[in-house]
Amino acid sequence: MSVERELHALRTATCVTPGDHVACVKLVGAGAADLLERVSPRALFVRTGKMSHTLFLDEAARPLADVYLCCDEDDFFLLAEGMTAAEIITYLRPHAADLDVTFDDLTESHAVLSLGGPYAWELLGELTTPDVIGLPYLGFFHAEAFTCFRGGKTGEYGYDLLVERTRLAAVRAQLADIGARFDLVESTLATQDVAQLEAFFWNARRQSPVGLTPIELQLQWRVNYGRAFPGAAALAERRTTAHQRAVLLASATTLEPGATLRAGDRTIGTVLDAAFSPTRGDWVGMGMVDRAFAHSSLDLASGAAVVHTLSAPSINNRSLHVDPQRHCFATRATDVFPPLVRG
Amino acid sequence: MNETTDLAEMTRRVAQREELLGRLRKILIEHLQLRREVDELDPDAPLFGSGFGLDSLDAVELVVCLETEFGLRVNDPTVLRQSFRSLNTMIDLVISHPVPA
Repeated sequence: MSVERELHALRTATCVTPGDHVACVKLVGAGAADLLERVSPRALFVRTGKMSHTLFLDEAARPLADVYLCCDEDDFFLLAEGMTAAEIITYLRPHAADLDVTFDDLTESHAVLSLGGPYAWELLGELTTPDVIGLPYLGFFHAEAFTCFRGGKTGEYGYDLLVERTRLAAVRAQLADIGARFDLVESTLATQDVAQLEAFFWNARRQSPVGLTPIELQLQWRVNYGRAFPGAAALAERRTTAHQRAVLLASATTLEPGATLRAGDRTIGTVLDAAFSPTRGDWVGMGMVDRAFAHSSLDLASGAAVVHTLSAPSINNRSLHVDPQRHCFATRATDVFPPLVRG
Repeated sequence: MNETTDLAEMTRRVAQREELLGRLRKILIEHLQLRREVDELDPDAPLFGSGFGLDSLDAVELVVCLETEFGLRVNDPTVLRQSFRSLNTMIDLVISHPVPA
């Protein structure tokens, strides 16, 4: 299956991706919330069925993981990218010495399937209950065969299904059966990475080199200054010294990670990550550039190539316009939506 | 266009976007009571949902602010959905709808 076909399914229909890259840990015990309050740069949303989207930072304020903290009564599920479950437990344990909390690494017992696309909600409704339409962004619920977390990092409707491995084959078979009516395509992690770049959604596995913090990566919305958390001091210091910021790039010519970016004859930054976007028909990337030039609608250069800076996202996500109350997969051909690529 | 004029044009665009970014950040803090400092409001951060946590009432307030602050009246819900994603997309909206003097 090509990246192009998989991306097309994600952008216009439905797509499922094995979530082997997603670490899952359950924190059990009355001290779970207190522990997460100590390490999360962002204030927790402690209400059963709700998720907080946060980061784990090292002491230099470098983001190590992209984390959902999911409150389940006294306990919490952690779904994370950028760290393994074992690394997460090692990261958390020093902060938990005086707390009533145990760590349950779900790697061996559970698997994650990520369901995405503008009609993912409809497919999921047939797999579980039509009530899933009412599941808010950053909410989750326990279905009979899995726990379903609504998040998404591609700009489309997105659901992570946490499935016991003993039930995985049955869930996959059911997904394939129902999914056939929604043009469901199975995609690879490589396709998800391109989709995240198109959406300019930070990718913890690819875009976290030493020296960068949430300030440069435009992730301050996941930080509440004034809280105590690992990396807080370094982050506060960086607030006055940061001189670069991430920008979304597009170019008709190949963008290479590490390539220099110029404004006129001035070197102003580098390409941090890049991939060809079949949706757009050109290359998209994340650049790290001097703040004086960290704006969209500029024409930069990389070698002989012209590199445009864009406002995120680089595409018109269909999910932004698909309303479960008005639209459905069956009428998609006659429903009117903006083109995936802006003119 | 040579490199000097390229850079001059780029400088003009940056100045324009910086000025609009400052005005929009001020609107979020002063009109929508967002409890953030100006420098925390990154230009591509999501305004709604998990980002700055704005809601549908804030969206209405933003529509009003666009008209009072920029003389910009936008009624097309598709345009608004796309333009209210971030400060940068709002800047794009303002720039693409110049108000006659």
